[in-house]
Amino acid sequence: MSETTRNRLMLAIALVLAAIYLFPLYWMYITTLKSGSAMFATPPSFWPSDPQWSTYAYVWESRNLARYMGNSLIIAVGAVTVITLLGTGCAYVLARYRNGWVDVGLFLILMLQVLPASLMITPIFVGFSQIGLLDYPRLAVIIAIAAKAMPFFVVLVRATFMSVPMELEEAALVDGNSRVGAFFHIVLPLARNGILVSAILIFMQAFGEFVYSKSIIQAVEYQPASVGLNSFMGPNTNEWNNIMAFATIYVTPILAVFVLLQRRIVSGLTSGALK
Amino acid sequence: MTQQIELSGVNKYYGAYHALRDIDLSIRKGAFVALVGPSGCGKSTLLRSLAGLESISSGDLIIAGEKMNGVPPRKRDLAMVFQSYALYPHMTVEQNLTYSLRIRGVKKAEAKKAADEVAATTGLSILLHRYPRELSGGQRQRVAMSRAIIRNPKAFLFDEPLSNLDAALRVHMRKEIRMLHDRLGATSVYVTHDQVEAMTMADHVVVMRSGLIEQQGAPLDLYDRPVNRFVAGFIGSPAMNFVPAKVGADGETLVVDLGGPQTIRMARPLQPGLNVIVGLRPEHLLPAEAGRALLHLPVASVENTGAATHVTTATTPELTLVLNGRIPLSPADSVPITFDAAHLHLFDAKTEMRLVPA
Repeated sequence: MSETTRNRLMLAIALVLAAIYLFPLYWMYITTLKSGSAMFATPPSFWPSDPQWSTYAYVWESRNLARYMGNSLIIAVGAVTVITLLGTGCAYVLARYRNGWVDVGLFLILMLQVLPASLMITPIFVGFSQIGLLDYPRLAVIIAIAAKAMPFFVVLVRATFMSVPMELEEAALVDGNSRVGAFFHIVLPLARNGILVSAILIFMQAFGEFVYSKSIIQAVEYQPASVGLNSFMGPNTNEWNNIMAFATIYVTPILAVFVLLQRRIVSGLTSGALK
Repeated sequence: MTQQIELSGVNKYYGAYHALRDIDLSIRKGAFVALVGPSGCGKSTLLRSLAGLESISSGDLIIAGEKMNGVPPRKRDLAMVFQSYALYPHMTVEQNLTYSLRIRGVKKAEAKKAADEVAATTGLSILLHRYPRELSGGQRQRVAMSRAIIRNPKAFLFDEPLSNLDAALRVHMRKEIRMLHDRLGATSVYVTHDQVEAMTMADHVVVMRSGLIEQQGAPLDLYDRPVNRFVAGFIGSPAMNFVPAKVGADGETLVVDLGGPQTIRMARPLQPGLNVIVGLRPEHLLPAEAGRALLHLPVASVENTGAATHVTTATTPELTLVLNGRIPLSPADSVPITFDAAHLHLFDAKTEMRLVPA
């Protein structure tokens, strides 16, 4: 088998696998455009003959999607802000100091990441209810998500900081800067890419978060889109086109961000900030 | 002569590890001082302590008449050139040069003028708007130097600045750094593990081992009168030959053990029966005319560089000879050798300290 044929075969396999993997996404988009009867037609059609664009407007209005999306955005932005502010400092310290306590700290941080959200939610719920945090349900979810996603962020950003040579900081100190000044002038700009990428990943995670939001937020007006989508689906649901439209509106912005930034995300994760 | 940097009784501990032991060193204004020693000897720690990047555990550190023990690096007014150059990757050459000025609040126009001036003297003018990643190793080295020069500091600290350059460029930069030092009338402390760099560049060489200053002085003094076997072996290239020997019963001859005993005369008498180590520099061993040889050495291998013939002998311990010119020798030959008894270095076999006060 020649090199070209083998490459073509590989490409074909990759395309088939990608098609299988992406089919649900395709099915989601296509279903939103179908009418009620077209949805249940046998055999199913893979291209809508009569696209129903009005479904989007209908779902947006009837399900109060603006509110759900707003709540998702508040929770995601809040969690990313908390994590970025606290996690960056934490990651820097863990990157620059090496001793037994730091190793213990890193181990505990990694342990946190191992525990699943569905396990953590019960103690978190009880604890938050004791200190009255459940009266501010979105804040409570932000804190819970921050605690959950922090280890991921710290581990990634720590690696970024470690790729910034200590000598650069020392050069800045000798050049007349203070420790804090050297951090903000030299280290932070060089670690910016890594921090940004980690923050985007955290944002996407927090935007789709479900377990904590579902358990902690009882009031409908504070629920994010993930919970809204879940409550849309009942045992006897048959309005799949509306549900799919909800899902489409929910995930398309995240997908768009990911597609636009994927090159930077991949390079930011695999290489350090420096050359 | 005013002292620019003075260290007295400086000690440094990392936990239980004693990194610097009772360092006494004074560096006069305008001097070029080289700290040299094998890796782990504490030379870099000493330099970093001067810069304020490490704190000293005890002793006094005085820079330009001011006690600087606990003072942070930014208030010491010293400039440092790092081994990796430590150029700020996100800044252009010009921004790298002016960084220290901008922190001090120097006006933009003034800083730019200073950068232009320094760049003109170091040949960086056309590179001012490049980023460090777009420069060659030699150019980066120049930027690192220029970044130090622009500040007009109390002293320059160099941490093995040439070790990342190729051999030819290293020899060239050696001269250039020394010329720069002389032109600026600067005070420089230069850390290197390469004794040739130390010997050729410095006015004052400090040889360190295990956190201790073994010897300091003018380069040729160290070469001519090393205080102990370590300094003798460290200074000079190729390294000095060491041979165990015993002082003869008359106190004036040495019985040298080179696989078999050979007797040579000393310049000055020593206590009879004393065990010593004889140090012989390769360049002091000369080919002898017939009948005047002091030693007959069997040849193990011969390397000819064109200008000189390097011979390794088949003795135990083996000796290195550097003979001028091209000498037709092949392994299994025996080479007759002579030397000036004044060039013998004698060290006590036990303490390894120099025996003859030369």
